[in-house]
Formats: sequence, structure tokens, C-alpha cells
Amino acid sequence: MTATESDGVRVIEAEAIPTRYARGWHCLGLAERFRDGRPHAVRAFGGKLVVFAGEDGRLNVLDAYCRHMGGDLSEGTIKGNEIACPFHDWRWGGDGRCKKIPYSRRVPLRARTAAWPTLEQDGMLFVWNDPEGNPPPPEQAIPRIPGATSDRWTDWVWTETVVNANCREVVDNVVDMAHFFYVHYSFPTYFKNIFEGHTATQIMKGRARPDARRPSRGPQLLGNSSVATYYGPSFMIDELTYHYEGFDINSVLINCHYPIDRNSFVLQSGIITERSEALPGDEADKMARRLSDFIQLGFEQDIKIWKTKARIDNPLLCEEDGPVYQLRRWYEQFYVDAADVTPEMTARFEFELDTTRPVEAWEREVERNLAAQAAGDDPA
Amino acid sequence: MTVRPDVRLEDMPMRPVRCRRCGVEVLVRKASWEQTSIQWSTPSMTGCAEPPPDRHRTCPSLLESIGLAAAQGDLEVLDG
Ligand code: FES
Ligand SMILES: [Fe+2]
Repeated sequence: MTATESDGVRVIEAEAIPTRYARGWHCLGLAERFRDGRPHAVRAFGGKLVVFAGEDGRLNVLDAYCRHMGGDLSEGTIKGNEIACPFHDWRWGGDGRCKKIPYSRRVPLRARTAAWPTLEQDGMLFVWNDPEGNPPPPEQAIPRIPGATSDRWTDWVWTETVVNANCREVVDNVVDMAHFFYVHYSFPTYFKNIFEGHTATQIMKGRARPDARRPSRGPQLLGNSSVATYYGPSFMIDELTYHYEGFDINSVLINCHYPIDRNSFVLQSGIITERSEALPGDEADKMARRLSDFIQLGFEQDIKIWKTKARIDNPLLCEEDGPVYQLRRWYEQFYVDAADVTPEMTARFEFELDTTRPVEAWEREVERNLAAQAAGDDPA
Repeated sequence: MTVRPDVRLEDMPMRPVRCRRCGVEVLVRKASWEQTSIQWSTPSMTGCAEPPPDRHRTCPSLLESIGLAAAQGDLEVLDG
């Protein structure tokens, strides 16, 4: 039997995945790891890039394939401020121009390759992707993160994971309150979204799940508050506070990604934690590492779902779901020409979710789980 | 990708609500007393008399106007 809408059976719809990649700043990871004196290959935006730091310390991003005979620059050598192709030693500058061909009297006029606008900020390297080739508008600059350069905060603890799914799946998480309970074993009690311009924000408060945590000897975790904003299509800054009995732990979590191709992306997390009386000395560094492991675990939980789920353009929503459609309307602005961005895509939209019913249902479920655990048959 | 309307609007659309303080009109939907969706437009954004300095807050005058409209039955509450 084939299901059709006329049977009253709802049919999942999904258009082809867009052929272009989102316009916007994308973080390629911690800048330091590109400064080992060698060129680095990065598969992104359906192609291959080369990242290299010249003698002047500047990080450059070029298309990896040499315009002479197609040599792979990421297999080449850094010479001065240029990347030298391994095939015939043509020297390419960070601006995309061929500076020198050692065996030739002069460089051909058209010797220019694709150079990606870069930004190095707060320890991270960003590239600007724009299918139309326009420079990054200043109003879409990535905001500074004061803790990242402060001694009162730890260094970044960073993770990278290749995910075999289209990157829209990770963006959907912004509005998906219920999955935080079922997939991540957290317990949201407050949930609000705001989309405006090129930003999308999720405000969430949660309490600890006694049924999901091993009882620890240390101070009890009570809950957390989080204000997480996407600046553009791929870079989220989450101001995340964990509330413990008697003190708070402040952290900043980066949740970001860049597409490898239409069916895979690199998912990254970065975390810094504030040093405080509750977290003196290297306790804060230990905490940052522990939080990073915890975030990574959360990613694995998402990935398990994404691996087997269907792409769906027409999700069927109940009233206790977040604004999936409005989020995707916002997200669409990064996939059309800048001139075709409509006011609907960027106008401010606010959505406060009613958590009354979810909280009631989840309290009962937590009780059931605790009772089952006490009886010795752990359902988790 | 086509931009699709929220499926839930089929059960109840968004309705205009006017702010009693500054007079701007926004589109609002309340699925319950605790749930609120607010769609701003460019003119309503520029017309708001006291946009909260914290961009994550909703204008308190507008919220009050929405609450009043719901209480007076001018704004339907789906699960009210
Ligand atoms: S292909 Fe790069 S120098 Fe010839
Ligand atoms: Fe998730």
C-alpha cells in the first residue's frame, strides 16, 4: 500500500538539498593549529582549501588547486609569505595572486586564484563564504568574546567531529526543545527563541535530571541557564551558566560547523570556563575539559539521530514544539542572493514556548525512571 | 528551498495586536496563556516607543497589550 495525502496519511516532503553553500562567516577551528609551518588541507564548501601562515604570521585561505596545472597546494611548502606549489614551484600569495614563477621571466596576467576573506579573532580562524563573491558586510562581524583573551578564563578546549548529514540538521536544534529531554537527558523548564537580522537566539533554562546522572560526591548540580545566539548560518556563541548548590560556573560554549559538502559537515565545539573561588587554579581547566567531554557526548547523541533520520521540509508540529518553520525561513536568507533576502527572513520574530505540559510529563517520567532504577532494572 | 508557513497556522492564524503605548501593530498568536508568538515588521520595529536595551526581552508595553487583548477576548487563545 502506498500512503497518499488522500488517505489522511501525512507524507514527508523534502526538496533537493541546496546546491550552494551558506553565505557567512564559518569558523575553521583554533588558529594556532594552522601555525606549525606547514600548509593545511581543509575540505569545505564542496571543494578543497589550503590554509597557511606566511612568515608575517598572517593566516591565508586559498583554493587548494593550483591554477597552473592543478597541483595541490596543501601538499606544497611555505616559502616566505607565499605557498609554493609542489608541482612546478609557482608561488601564491594570500591575496590569491601568483607572485613568482622561479623558472619564468614573468608571471601571466591572469595568474589569480580564489582567496577567501579571513578573520582571526579570539583564537579562532574564520573564512567568509559568499557564492556571489562579495566581501563580508561589517554588520555581520563575529562579536568579540571577552573571556577568550582574559587570564580569568581558561583556554579553549576544542573538539571537531565529521558528521555525515546535511548541516541543516544541527541548525534545527536551536528550536527543538523536546529533543533536549529525550536525546540529551536534560530537562528544559523555560524556552524562548528570537530571530532578527542574521541572528537566531535560543534562551533556555533547565534543571538537573536525577535519573540521568550518577550520584557524585561533589557539589550538587541544580540546573543551567543558557543564552545561545547564531551569528550567521554556522557560528553560535552560548553563554552557559551551571548552577550548583552555593555557586555558579560561568562558561562560554562555541557550537559551530562548516560544510564539507552537501551531505557532510565538520561539527566543532569550543569551551572556556571562568576561574572563580569555586574553581581556583587548574580546577577551572579541569572543569572546561569535563564540560567539553559532556558537550561531545551531546554531539554523539545528536549524530546517532541524524545518521538514520529523514530530511523533512514539512515537519508536523504540536503546540509544544518550537518555531521550526520560522527558523528555516530565517536560515533561508543565507542561501539566496543578498539582493533576494526578503524582510520576512530577517524581521524580528519571538516565540515563547509554554513548558507547563512538558514539565508535568517529564516530572512523571523522571519519577518512573528513578523508581525503576531503585527497583534495580535500569531502563537507561 | 521554498519558505513554508508554519503548519500550526492552519489551526489558528496570527492576528494583529496594537500596542497600547506606541500604537504599532504586530502579528500575534497565542496557543495557550503561557505561549506567545510575535511577528514584527520593519515599521513596527521602528515605531516601538521603548525597545528594551536587552534585545532578548520583549517590549513590556506590547506584552501587556497582548495580555489584555487575550483577557478581553479580542485575541483568541487556542488552548485558553
Ligand atoms: S601546477 Fe602548480 S606550479 Fe604547476
Ligand atoms: Fe541536539
